[in-house]
Amino acid sequence: MSEREPYVGRRIKRTEDPRLIQGLGRYVDDLRFADLHHVSILRSPHAHAKVTSLDASKARSASGVLAVVTVDDLDRANVGDVPCGAVLSGMKKPTHRPLARRKVRFAGEPLAAVVAPSLAAARDAIDLIAVEYDPLSAVIDPEAALKPGAPLVHEELETNRAFDWSVSSGDIEAAFKSAARVASQRIVHQRLIPCSIEPRGVVAQYFPGDRQLTLYTSTQIPHLVRTMLAGVIGLPENHVRVVAPEVGGGFGSKLNFYAEEILLAFLAMQLAPRPLKWIETRPENFAATIHGRGQVGTIEAAVNRDGRILGVRYRSIQDLGAYPQLLGPAIPTLTGLMAAGCYKMDSILVEVTGVYTNQMSTDAYRGAGRPEATYQIERLMDIIADEMHIDPADLRRRNMPHPEEFPFKTATGLTYDSGNYRKALDRALEIAGIEKLREEQRTLRDQGRLIGIGISSYAEICALGPSAAVPAGGWESATVRVEPTGKVTILTGASPHGQGEETTFAQLAADFFGISLEDILVKHGDTAEVQYGIGTFGSRNMAVGGTALLRAMERVRDKAKPLAAHLLGAASPDAVTFSGGTFSAGDQSISFAEVANAAHRAASIPDGFEPGLSATASFEPKNFTFPFGTHVCVVEVDRETGDVTFLRYVAVDDCGKAINPLLVDGQIHGGIAQSIGQALYEEAIYDEAGQLVTGELMDYAIPKAHQCPHFETERTETPTDVNPLGVKGVGEAGTIGATPAIVNAVIDALEPFGVTHIDMPLKPEKIWRLMQKEGR
Amino acid sequence: MKIEGSSTIQAAPARTFALLIDEDVLRRCVPGVRRLIREGEDRFAVILDVGFGSVQGTYEGRVALSEKVPPSRLQIAVDGQGRLGFVRGKGLLQLESDEKSGAHLTRIAYQGEVQIGGALASVGQRMVQGAAKAMVGQFFAAIEAEAKAAESPVPVPVKHGRLRNLLRWLRSILRGLFQRRAVRRARPERNRAASQGGN
Amino acid sequence: MIPSTFDYAAPQTLEDVLFLLKSGGANGKLLSGGQSLIPVLKLRLAAPERLIDLGRIPGLRRINAETDPISIGAMATHASIEDSEALRAVCPLLPQVAGCIGDRQVRNRGTIGGSLANADPAADWPAAVLALDAELVAAGFGDAVKSIPARKFFQGMMKTALAPGSLLVEIRIRRPASGGAAYQKVRQSASGFAIAGVAAILEYGPDRVGKQVGIGITGVAQYPYPATAVEKALVGKRLDEKTIAAASQLAGESIDDPISDIHASGNYRLHLARVHCARALRRAAGLNPSP
Repeated sequence: MSEREPYVGRRIKRTEDPRLIQGLGRYVDDLRFADLHHVSILRSPHAHAKVTSLDASKARSASGVLAVVTVDDLDRANVGDVPCGAVLSGMKKPTHRPLARRKVRFAGEPLAAVVAPSLAAARDAIDLIAVEYDPLSAVIDPEAALKPGAPLVHEELETNRAFDWSVSSGDIEAAFKSAARVASQRIVHQRLIPCSIEPRGVVAQYFPGDRQLTLYTSTQIPHLVRTMLAGVIGLPENHVRVVAPEVGGGFGSKLNFYAEEILLAFLAMQLAPRPLKWIETRPENFAATIHGRGQVGTIEAAVNRDGRILGVRYRSIQDLGAYPQLLGPAIPTLTGLMAAGCYKMDSILVEVTGVYTNQMSTDAYRGAGRPEATYQIERLMDIIADEMHIDPADLRRRNMPHPEEFPFKTATGLTYDSGNYRKALDRALEIAGIEKLREEQRTLRDQGRLIGIGISSYAEICALGPSAAVPAGGWESATVRVEPTGKVTILTGASPHGQGEETTFAQLAADFFGISLEDILVKHGDTAEVQYGIGTFGSRNMAVGGTALLRAMERVRDKAKPLAAHLLGAASPDAVTFSGGTFSAGDQSISFAEVANAAHRAASIPDGFEPGLSATASFEPKNFTFPFGTHVCVVEVDRETGDVTFLRYVAVDDCGKAINPLLVDGQIHGGIAQSIGQALYEEAIYDEAGQLVTGELMDYAIPKAHQCPHFETERTETPTDVNPLGVKGVGEAGTIGATPAIVNAVIDALEPFGVTHIDMPLKPEKIWRLMQKEGR
Repeated sequence: MKIEGSSTIQAAPARTFALLIDEDVLRRCVPGVRRLIREGEDRFAVILDVGFGSVQGTYEGRVALSEKVPPSRLQIAVDGQGRLGFVRGKGLLQLESDEKSGAHLTRIAYQGEVQIGGALASVGQRMVQGAAKAMVGQFFAAIEAEAKAAESPVPVPVKHGRLRNLLRWLRSILRGLFQRRAVRRARPERNRAASQGGN
Repeated sequence: MIPSTFDYAAPQTLEDVLFLLKSGGANGKLLSGGQSLIPVLKLRLAAPERLIDLGRIPGLRRINAETDPISIGAMATHASIEDSEALRAVCPLLPQVAGCIGDRQVRNRGTIGGSLANADPAADWPAAVLALDAELVAAGFGDAVKSIPARKFFQGMMKTALAPGSLLVEIRIRRPASGGAAYQKVRQSASGFAIAGVAAILEYGPDRVGKQVGIGITGVAQYPYPATAVEKALVGKRLDEKTIAAASQLAGESIDDPISDIHASGNYRLHLARVHCARALRRAAGLNPSP
């Protein structure tokens, strides 16, 4: 077979894209069903209130309405609670019913559901449900939630304090006592709304005869949803099928198990065999899909005379919202574990308190706890550099471990697999032309212009992960099925929703089997079709899912070899080589497709060979992986208005081996864009009464393409030995690395005003006010 | 959101206070009132139509008066629900005499809080403050008109609404006359417009 | 997002529209571009019983740049104004403002008349018509056609001089003499509405003395307003950096209750009004833009 440039490492456009761009993708809302009925949900307008009465009689008798259900109906059918998969040790956990019972705890909490043959009729009937509320004071600010006398979100818990978690090592007291300097900064990580382009949606159908429930849902974790749903709804797990069709983005907001999924399953069973559909409106997506971040804390560093960090202390409060959803409590623990960033230190103390408030739950959102960790240590590095008059890049270099020190054990007990932090830092500064930039900055500052240069060096934890450390397990599965015609079907337990594994897994398989990309099909998302897997989150698809795929492909090859040997008349399978899609022994050869055919035809097979050619494998990683990099951002601040303009943006990221650099770039671009949102534009705002006043895209500003600068990106490649692919994962790296670079740049621009910190989002008015205050 | 300000009414405090707690007056002056019915000593059931721009909704609920210290102090609380969501407000009115050039004047200082919730709160925040202020302004302007009307020599209506209905009927007669004239005058233009046709 | 049920009428003549408005009363809403109304319906922040679509009324979309005054039909879309080379030649402020509204999809449907009648305190057209001292022509039942000066049109938060049962049919703009014009807009990042929008038009000759100065400001006060103090400060004066800077300080004069919300405080908006008034005037006067 002719030599072909490997697919792996090539910038290939995605095979997913043509159908998506042409509007041929089949999302939940596109699926067609006969006799489809629609569900509309009544949600509380109050953030905190007793429900003194709920009268659905008018709604029930409205023309076209099939059913109206409340929590009483769920109770009667023994439907379980919305579960939390991350109950930390000692955590006070409230009951979370899928529909509120007698008390509502956040604006948007579901109270009742209406089923009707048309969406209009269902929606109209919502207005006919008469609810009387007795409003209670709401607690919104997480720090206020801990104060005595604060309204209690869950009276039965007698406190709003959900948990206290900490990690520590070394002698932090000694570090601070002996420090030449202590730098400290209070930091607020504002609430963010993930805002995937496709909101959530569910279609459920139940056939009572064979007790089969099917749930089509826009999710990142179809198998996990299946397991949880079966338990909550009272069906055997193998009678439940969950299908994640085309999913239009998740960013962690669909790494969850929601009340609406339980509700639709319940309704489908009650109204069987009608298929029932619920699709979120954008205001529902904003109010009732999990929010990101929501942490406030103070980070301190004990630093010696040379700028070496002796220890870091971080105390924070995590706003959990009214109920802990699937992984909410775990998110700030990732902040804690990564609190040292990419720096060496001998001691660390992290203490996180989780609190309940009358707002929507917080949970995983792109980065999930690590953007917070990187942001605050990188802000602190700039503060230290400023106070001690050390060059910010130099300060970082002094504290970074050397490549020889890897695998590197951190103060928090993690083992960073591999890294060359200085190399990425130096390369980023080189691309940016840091010397020239500083010179230009000096010149322009003399002219009165506010130019700022910001650096962010990050290391992050991903490719979740060792199963002991991941709530439902951190392994991944793959089945490789070779069809009689030689086509290959891959079934992956990963559940991509925009990442592009249909292309990248096919690249791996095409190279491995020496076949064409077009002959490979990657399937995912349907629990009836795909073997049990964990799903997509934590930048794990390639590192964990790809390795499972590699294992399965190796098993297929190892199974085929004896057959090939037999067909080639070779002495033993060891005499057979497999390369370029061809099995060879001596001067005889046979193609992959021919072997596949023979395996199924089975007319001539060796002893012990089981007909067919497929294999399933799973991969349990022994560690997380730790991508890293440095971003450099240059901005100008308008002296008169506080507006921020990007002048340059440089990103050097290291995700180990890159299977498809085009897609890696795409992940970095998207991650930086969401960082721009967090740094400059986005904030989910609840007023004191708990109303989400940023309830629509009218008031919540996600960044638009023209607001993003040209991204100058490059990669270094430091492989990992955590998996044989040498891949680290890159889905969240951009979001983790970029935010501090942007904020550091703006604060650098404001140096003439003596500004040392501003909390995000850095809106023009905030910046303008600071300039007025310092007044120069 | 906070609403505060002041308004001057051309009537003595006692008279002004009486207007503020009068059921008929409230029915005429509260902007958008569709129905106002006394439920108790200081409680009224209300249906209010609210609108600004294209936004339009109806709130059903209660108005309650409290902390009555005639003629100087009054608290009005509003509590309503509707498709736009809910509205809850409480405002303290403090009246004091403002004698100027001999005329009876009352200065009403008001401060209160209005909380809206639900659909309107999640998308309409930027206009709600302005709309609320406008409604408060309308209310006091209407009270002012009531105060003036009470001073002018027009027979006091014996039964609620009858005089108003009479005036309305007269007005509609006059309007009809005027319109017919206007139509006649305009007819030549209308024919011209019709002959232009097309888009 | 599903609106409540409504009747839909698509009358073919202006008379029919006026009749429907009168007979339906408050239960009928006019539908022009729908870019404000339809989202409100979908969010169920309004439930009119009937929508009266103006899309089939002849003559309402016409743009006539040849006449003086320039005539723009109330149903002319923002996009048609943005794209009009004829308008660009005689009154470039109009296409410039049009191009700043929302995004292209919104501009393809939204209309100048709809925007003015809706009178959103942060809409762009009000700033332009105030600066240009335009005449807004309204038709009422019984063919009572009224010409309302823009400076009398905006009376309160989303409150206009349009009588119930009437609608805008035409916007008339006196052809500006030689000079310059500019629109400066600070966009609220999410919605694109103006946190501060300043439309400035200057008429001046070779001596660069301000003959006519028109400035309209939106997004700042409870309703759009003409910055008359700035205008007075520049008429008869030479238009240079100093005079413009000094005059622009008056941009927020007499606004004691600016809009204050989660996006920008009242003080900041007033500040932006001053800053962008100066920038708009500098551009209109052909001076170098500020760094």
